[in-house]
Amino acid sequence: MLKKKIPVLLCFLAGLLPIISFFFTSPGDGLREANDTLEQWLVVVSGFALLLGVISVFQVNLRKISNRSKGWVNAIYLLASLVIMGAFGLMDAFSEMPGWGWVGTSGNTGFNWIFDAIFQPLQSTMFSLLAFYVASAAFRAFRARNLEAGLLLAAAMVVMLGINPYVVKVLPFLPEWTRWIMNGPNAAAQRGIIIGAALGAASMTLRILLGIERSWLGLQEGE
Amino acid sequence: MHIFFAMAPLNTPDGFGIWVGAFFTLCILSFLYKDNPFFRFAESIFAGCSLGYYIGNTFSQTIVPNVLEPLVHDGHTPFISWGWWVLVIPIIIGVNLYTRYIPKIAWVARFSLAIYVGYYAALEMMLKLQGEVLPQSADTIISLVPRGTPMIDWFTSIVVMIGVLCVLVYFFFSAEHKGVLGGVSKVGVWFLMISFGAAFAYTIMGRISILIGRVVFLMGDWLGYGA
Amino acid sequence: MNFMDWITNLDRRWLYLLVGVFAIVPLIFPLGMPVNVSPAVQSLYDHVEGMNPGEIIMVSMDYGPSTGPENDPMACALIRHALSRDLRIVMLALYPIGGVNEGIQELQRCVGDLDPPNGVLESTKFPGKIYGKDFVYLGYKDGGLATMRQMNENIHEVFPSDYWQTPVTEYELSNEVQGYDDVNFAFSVATGIIGEWWANTVNAQFGLPVAVGCTAVSAPKYFAYYNAGQMFALLGGLKGAAEYERLVLDNYPQAKADTEEQVFYAAKGWDVQSVVYSIITIFIILGNVAYLLERRRTRMQL
Repeated sequence: MLKKKIPVLLCFLAGLLPIISFFFTSPGDGLREANDTLEQWLVVVSGFALLLGVISVFQVNLRKISNRSKGWVNAIYLLASLVIMGAFGLMDAFSEMPGWGWVGTSGNTGFNWIFDAIFQPLQSTMFSLLAFYVASAAFRAFRARNLEAGLLLAAAMVVMLGINPYVVKVLPFLPEWTRWIMNGPNAAAQRGIIIGAALGAASMTLRILLGIERSWLGLQEGE
Repeated sequence: MHIFFAMAPLNTPDGFGIWVGAFFTLCILSFLYKDNPFFRFAESIFAGCSLGYYIGNTFSQTIVPNVLEPLVHDGHTPFISWGWWVLVIPIIIGVNLYTRYIPKIAWVARFSLAIYVGYYAALEMMLKLQGEVLPQSADTIISLVPRGTPMIDWFTSIVVMIGVLCVLVYFFFSAEHKGVLGGVSKVGVWFLMISFGAAFAYTIMGRISILIGRVVFLMGDWLGYGA
Repeated sequence: MNFMDWITNLDRRWLYLLVGVFAIVPLIFPLGMPVNVSPAVQSLYDHVEGMNPGEIIMVSMDYGPSTGPENDPMACALIRHALSRDLRIVMLALYPIGGVNEGIQELQRCVGDLDPPNGVLESTKFPGKIYGKDFVYLGYKDGGLATMRQMNENIHEVFPSDYWQTPVTEYELSNEVQGYDDVNFAFSVATGIIGEWWANTVNAQFGLPVAVGCTAVSAPKYFAYYNAGQMFALLGGLKGAAEYERLVLDNYPQAKADTEEQVFYAAKGWDVQSVVYSIITIFIILGNVAYLLERRRTRMQL
């Protein structure tokens, strides 16, 4: 009861509140106020939820280091950078709180320096690798093997050529074609995907709220 | 060559930061040749920094200003005033999520998770139905006779209508795709292929843009070319 | 081995090298490639041009460093356009991995260095424009959808203080803006799903006009929202950024001078983009020619 039914009931009530307040309330109503309060809480709860993974990362990497398993040195680098970046971030966060005056601006300075010098270059370079892979994939896998693949290739070529200013100089009508593909067939397919996915998500929500879908509870065997 | 005179200085915090950034950029790019310890090192630092960033960002931008600071400065009477509870309850719900790491009471985390999942699932449903299904469907409903709109726009709208219907039929799994249904769903696949082709062209553009950002950093910020 | 066999079996690292080299060359020898402005971009420019001085734009930084080269120039062009026209800006960030830093970086790139807690409030790039009066930065908030919905009820509850932890009520502009009714439109500079939320939640539920500057990867999907009128303007990827930047630069000399001082801006990126794009297009064509020739050869052997 406590382990299963109450969470399902709580889930139902937490879901019911925004739905009812959306349809049946106006500003100032008690229900609307309750929904606003829940929303305010969830802004904060989301913060805690975002940090949930940090503990698992600690557990996994500490285990790796203590077992000296493959890549344990990298696990040390990972945890060290996590702790240093996190510590500067916490110093920055608490700098205005009572008793934290000694921190001054050092937390902010350290956090921003690591962001600019390390985090930003690493994140953007990691994603920039995809430019090379996508170029290679375009060359090796993008073949007109059948009608469907041919359509894929033809649409891609029209859009690519229609965006390319060199080509547009020679074939000035191409940007119009590109626009037509984007606003016509592309928008149609995307619209179909959006509507289909939305109906799927809505039915999944109903399953969750009504307690039919319970995988989010993470039930153990025998529960 | 002027390029070397304009390189980022090593003796200022900003200049040194650029050198560090250039080092890590090259570490990651070295993976293009083959996997190597420099890449592994940079990859680990990236993962660690990302999580450290989450911690700092969440505390400095949300948890401290929205909860802890008002708790300290707004003068609420603990346990008595409603304002105090409004600030404390989300902390309880949030911290309770972490009981999942204590095996004996891991199930307690479900209470918080229930509120989180229930609220966001409902919100998602509302926004999908009201913000996607209705407006997207409404815009697909058009006059079959061109009235006052240019022929090309009317023709595009007809194409869109046919495309949406065919793609939806393709996603309709409750009946076997045979006969008319099979034919219509095949046309749906063609529309999807055209869209994926366009998306691929745009994806190439997006990925190149990010590469350009790194090249500009190495050439401009680090080597000083054109800076 | 003939040319086609050679190209089919080429080590991919040669292709990587080619892409890398052609990403560098146009930076050394700028080409000044033209950009054609599309209606989806023009409508953002026209909308901003049609606003009255003093009206407020909400700019949401919904991206991180991973897509900075595409999104940064969009944010910069809009901030410069708005300040040049005496419009006011309320900035915030909803993207968890770097959104808040992108926000402060781009804001300071456009207005000059700021230090509001120590009284450095005036823009050096736009003299007379004051932090807290003409523009304000609320920082980042967790919560995504919940935050967006709460902003309609009361922004001050969600963002009690600005980026520098000063109470928002202490500044004229942030004090004045209490909900979506107080702003003319929202511009989401987005990667991924947050731009969609502005359309399917804020626009759909609260009726606030929304424009989005999205990454090229998201653009094809966003066209569906744009076509349905859920966004009144759409800037897709570096191309969209270059188009909007061109419109602003052609009409505002101060914005032009400030932009061209930067090491990187959209038009410069567009040069490189055009060259690398051409290389990849040629490779796709070559790959397909090789494939068709190979198929013909196999058929003839049969």
